Amino acid sequence: MNKKYLAFAAATTAAAVALTGCVETKSNVDKESTGDKTGDKPVIEVLGMASQEQDLNIVRDQLTKNGFDVKLNIQPDYGSYSAQKDAGNYDVVLSSWTTVTGNPDYAVRGLFKTGGDYSDTADEQIDKLIDEASTLIGDAAKEKYAELEQALVFDKAYIAPLYISKKFQGIYSADVNPDTVRLSKSRAQAWETMSFNDTAKNATETLVLHQGISSLTSLDPIKGNDGSINTLNTNMYVRLVNLSDTDEVVSEGSLSYNHAISADNQSYYFVLRDDINFAKVENNQAVDTKDLVSAEDVVFSLERAKDENSVPDHRTYSIHENIETVEIVKDITSLEAVKTAEGDTVLDVLSKQLPASIAEVVTNEADVDNAAGKYQVVKITTPTPFPQVLNYLAHQSGGIVSEAAVTAINTFDVASYDPNVNVAYGDQATVTEGATYANHLAASGPYILVQKNDYEATFVKNPAYQPGTANEPKVDKISVRFIQDNDSALSALRNGEIQVLQAVPETKLDVVNGDANLTLKTADSNAVSYLLMNPKGRDIATSLDLRKAVLYSINQDEFISYYQGNKKPAVSTVSPLVDTGLKLEADSAKVKEYLEAYKASK
Amino acid sequence: MKFISNVKLLLKITQEYVNAQFTIAFSAIFSVLLLLYSFNFTEGVWRPYVLYGFIIYAITTLYVWLTSILIKKDLTNAQQIERRTRLLGYPLVFTILAGNVFAAGYGFMLITKNKTAEYTFTVYALMTQIVIFMLSALNIFKPYVVDTFIVAMAAFIGFAIIYTVTAILVARYVTPTYAPKWMQVLGIVLLLATLTGNLFATLLGFTLIRKARNSDPSAIEKWQKTWDKILRNTMAVFGMFFIISMFSLSVVSSWTFDYDFATQNNYSALLQGPSFEYPLGTDDFGRDLFSRIVFGAQISLIVGFFSTIIPAIIGGALGAFSGYYGRHTDNIIMRSLDILYAIPGILLAIAIIAAFGANTVNLIIALSVGAIPTYARTMRANVMQIANYEFVESARALGASDSAIIFKHIVPNSLAPMIVKSTLTIGGAVISTSSLSFLGLGVEPHIPEWGNILKVGSTYLETHSYVAIFPGICIMLLVLSFNFFGDGLRDALDPKSH
Repeated sequence: MNKKYLAFAAATTAAAVALTGCVETKSNVDKESTGDKTGDKPVIEVLGMASQEQDLNIVRDQLTKNGFDVKLNIQPDYGSYSAQKDAGNYDVVLSSWTTVTGNPDYAVRGLFKTGGDYSDTADEQIDKLIDEASTLIGDAAKEKYAELEQALVFDKAYIAPLYISKKFQGIYSADVNPDTVRLSKSRAQAWETMSFNDTAKNATETLVLHQGISSLTSLDPIKGNDGSINTLNTNMYVRLVNLSDTDEVVSEGSLSYNHAISADNQSYYFVLRDDINFAKVENNQAVDTKDLVSAEDVVFSLERAKDENSVPDHRTYSIHENIETVEIVKDITSLEAVKTAEGDTVLDVLSKQLPASIAEVVTNEADVDNAAGKYQVVKITTPTPFPQVLNYLAHQSGGIVSEAAVTAINTFDVASYDPNVNVAYGDQATVTEGATYANHLAASGPYILVQKNDYEATFVKNPAYQPGTANEPKVDKISVRFIQDNDSALSALRNGEIQVLQAVPETKLDVVNGDANLTLKTADSNAVSYLLMNPKGRDIATSLDLRKAVLYSINQDEFISYYQGNKKPAVSTVSPLVDTGLKLEADSAKVKEYLEAYKASK
Repeated sequence: MKFISNVKLLLKITQEYVNAQFTIAFSAIFSVLLLLYSFNFTEGVWRPYVLYGFIIYAITTLYVWLTSILIKKDLTNAQQIERRTRLLGYPLVFTILAGNVFAAGYGFMLITKNKTAEYTFTVYALMTQIVIFMLSALNIFKPYVVDTFIVAMAAFIGFAIIYTVTAILVARYVTPTYAPKWMQVLGIVLLLATLTGNLFATLLGFTLIRKARNSDPSAIEKWQKTWDKILRNTMAVFGMFFIISMFSLSVVSSWTFDYDFATQNNYSALLQGPSFEYPLGTDDFGRDLFSRIVFGAQISLIVGFFSTIIPAIIGGALGAFSGYYGRHTDNIIMRSLDILYAIPGILLAIAIIAAFGANTVNLIIALSVGAIPTYARTMRANVMQIANYEFVESARALGASDSAIIFKHIVPNSLAPMIVKSTLTIGGAVISTSSLSFLGLGVEPHIPEWGNILKVGSTYLETHSYVAIFPGICIMLLVLSFNFFGDGLRDALDPKSH
């Protein structure tokens, strides 16, 4: 009996020894990564929103693996996130930026220039580079932006870039013709091209689109610049120029037939169409006001766009601060005198493919008659050479409003404006169903908002928007459904409740691709995610070593593989617009070096 | 006619037969599930390992069915199960290696005539140990194991041997009323096994020591009777088995599982399906789901346990005072608690978490506060009833102080409903913890917690469903187990059934 037990014990021991031999333990494997694990790790507090949970987790993981002690500060919504950010309760904050104007200056000026709208950075060298780059075009501009990125990211490490996003648009192609739905890099969704598969439905059915935010900042284009109104105002107000799907400035689909730039890059000319009238809403129908969208309205709109005091809560004057003058050209000879960079006269450039050649430029809208050769031409000047001003004119805030309608509503004194008493043009209360409803909008664009509630906003076609041309809106009625949660919006798309979804989540691309009713479209985007280092009050603000340690901890390849290849490497917010040739490579050795330098300096 | 009805009755009261029916049903269900899963319908290929699993389960089902027929025959002919039928239980014991706890449990029950509570404890302690050993052993397929892995595994084997020996000894020497004196030593060794979280061993050690010392026979009999009742309820036993296995696994996981696999991102293994290296696949950050679920059990169980015990103590004390003193005390306490009761528990928890921040301690407090009134009500009702009994009056006549009367005489006699209620609400607490994490209000997202894991899974429900299914099943099974165990406990402790 005892022998048996002995044999058993021996066998077990032998098995255990054999097992020990063939299993690698953690300390065996970990030997080479010797980091001083017991030493004090620098604490890094990372601030972000719950909706960025995935990115935060990857940042946390990368920083932890590089020897930081990471504390996450995850806020549930944008409000509490910006409160924490304003209070400076972070070392690095996860931010993202989308350059809606499609030009590099906009991607850096507000964000990184001293005193910029969204800027906490104050650095003379950066300021100088931003200003210099804005005056240049082509390769010269590319070089200057490369210099800026070198300073901003690699030399000073004010930001640590994560990735550039892509756009994924889902279309319910069982109903809607996917070829008619545009997906542009920068410009907001264009509604006038959209059409049902069965074109007979365009006049009878309502096209249902989607938006996340239901509270609209303002329907006055200059009083808002955010996701709640960008698309809506883009489709309600026509502009002097538009951005193409690949971010070139074009006149197509805009108020101008053509535009021209003087050789010194300081004067800009636009020849206007005469087939767009303002529309207003009467009895839930769009009515043609017979009021031409004219050069006078253009001057009025752009003057107020650049004037900080033209309206209360002006949100976009800094975008238009580069406009010096806006005027109606009085004399056709002045167009012949100015040459473009290519050597043609401005008149030649403006005259291409017009309904009738320019016989006369008129100043009064009553005299306009394109068919008879009577055109209005608007001239805009900038104080310094600034070709990117065209991108700003293509922005939603450059939308043309009706001088008559706006002055009729905005009768109050701007300085003593009281939102409880005074009603400003574009106030969302005036289009919200209920007691406050008093729709006073005058739309120069393809559609006009009839009314909204928390569930949807209904739009109808402007009957006097380029009728008979290719730009005439195809669908008569559009409803914008407000669904906050993107996953719910995707479900709505899948059962046809909404027909176009602008942003399909990266994790659900397979679902859209696998659905026979849906079509997925992809395009590049200007959205960049990056980490912003706290500029004051924390160690990270004063220690370049610490900032660089964070910078080189970031491994963009890991982000890209997490998003299954649906992101692109970034260097700064300029990256999607200008290919500067720079690249951020993760480097643990450098991190270790910088961290040691940081510890030594303490 | 009378003879047949006798056999029917016999079948009904013979635990082995009831157990066999139960085992057949479960093994058959698992066989069908395995068969369905063994064929990959989208790619049109067989999954060989799942198919082997199906074959083992199908054979087991047939085998158990055969034994049940034999039992029936034995009972018809001899009114008892014959020895050769009992011998057929031995092969079934090994089905534990295929994870078939039901068949193994049945096998253990079949092989001995002498079924004491101690025997059941031993058998389940052994099965728990084997299951934990096997689950931990899966870590061998990982690139490396933690330093303590080998030692811990050796200890598991050691404990398994101890349990096996104990099972033999218990079956041979322990009767419902007697255990030899030398069993005290064994009992102490078994109590040591509590360190591995194997509460079956704790129960066994405790019972053996008491029985061997034989100091208070009536208390031993009461204890024995209660456990007999609980253990006769098969579902309650399996509920207990799952809870204790999970608990034990979460206790020993620190020695056999590497936390890094559960928290560190691995971008070369994103969203992989189940394999030997990742038994339950990986999530969207390449973290091993199996490790995450194992470590997640720690938080779920800790929060579930404490957010039940804290309100039970506070609510119990308030209810006891309220019920004993009555009048103004009662009014003030109970009306205040009524106000608390009027606030929906989960909303209160969300408010507390939002105000004080999300961490484990706050989570426990948040879930505890809302549960206080129900415990107070339960306790108060019991105390009011018991306070009128003669023994309380005699204690008072003897000059015992109020606190002595409450805590020495009344509270011990009103604990049974509180215990039952606690087991039943632990499940609810586990769900609440997971719900809060799912809403992003629980622990930090990278920390493994079942609600967190489920949240990640919900994104991939259509494309990589296993990420949601496995944590979902775990939450479900744990809550179900607590409910079954609570039911068994209620049946056993219910005074009406005495």
